[in-house]
Amino acid sequence: MIEHDFDEEFVPIAAELQRLPYMSPSRDFADRVIANIDRLQPAKAVGPVLASRHLELHQGGQQAVVRRRPVGIVRATGRATVGVALIAAAAFMFFEVDVLTAILAAASTQYAFAIAAVGAQVGAVVLGPETIAYLQAGALQAVLLYLTLAVGLFGGYAAVRTAAQIAKRKAA
Amino acid sequence: MTPKSYTDVSDQQVVVFAQEGREDAYRELIKRYERPVFSLIFRMVRDKETAEDLAQETFIKVLNNIDRYRPEFKFSSWLFKIANNITIDHLRRRQIDTISIEGAPDAITAERARATAVTVTSGGESALEELESRELGEAIEKAIARLRPEYRACIILRHVEDYSYDEIAEIVKLPLGTVKTYIHRARQELREYLGDLR
Repeated sequence: MIEHDFDEEFVPIAAELQRLPYMSPSRDFADRVIANIDRLQPAKAVGPVLASRHLELHQGGQQAVVRRRPVGIVRATGRATVGVALIAAAAFMFFEVDVLTAILAAASTQYAFAIAAVGAQVGAVVLGPETIAYLQAGALQAVLLYLTLAVGLFGGYAAVRTAAQIAKRKAA
Repeated sequence: MTPKSYTDVSDQQVVVFAQEGREDAYRELIKRYERPVFSLIFRMVRDKETAEDLAQETFIKVLNNIDRYRPEFKFSSWLFKIANNITIDHLRRRQIDTISIEGAPDAITAERARATAVTVTSGGESALEELESRELGEAIEKAIARLRPEYRACIILRHVEDYSYDEIAEIVKLPLGTVKTYIHRARQELREYLGDLR
């Protein structure tokens, strides 16, 4: 029973409020609720997945296509390696590219995605996630920043190469 | 431990069994609170079918998120809190404020009105007492229906469910002072609406 914190006029109304009966929902209410509880239906969730695999085999072997996917990755990797090797060979033969350029070119080609991912992580740490999000939104400033970064990258490469050439001349 | 019956088991303990995924624990929680939750929601929306849908939504939400229940709070407070949120959201969407106990506000036919009306039952009384009690009960229901939904929730939680002001503030997510004001105003309005019955 709650404590009295109202005036005497409200006492009979409070008494009536306390006498208000509970109303019942329909009889199958609990069943309908239980039918919608996800936690109680893990087995049902697995069922359709198994059935669909079985169906796929009957529908022309799409399952086999899925199994061949690792072979596709190996093939693509092989093609990329061969491509890079051919480009490097052509560079050596026709443009007299030095070894440093060849190594950097091969590395940047083969590990472009890894470099991009690491670069994104480093950028997120240095610039902060909000700035990265801002840049990814595609603003004009983002284009300018990317250009600045690219110029810096090429500038750095040119500096390394010049230093290497000076060192080579001195050695000669 | 696996109880054969949940009769003497506290809500918190039943919740633990429910968290283990036991269907009988879920059913026990529904059994304990389907009527209070349905009644609270019905008295706020004044439509039987809607109240049942919202009560169902409440239980589904609570039971699907039973792992998030924090045992330092009363299970019933958490349940009523979600019921109140769902109902207030519904009322805001539908802009329903008042309705009579004879049927839903959108009951345009007599059949629909009968389908959405709620029978207020009483037990163990003589025919005259039952009639008087029924009349008074219906008058109270009508008076509650005339209150603002926020007042309805507070006055029901206070006088029907016996919650403290602090618990009500937690359930309806309002400051304690606002809850006290709402209940004070609700009492004033109920006194006015029911003046000639006393």
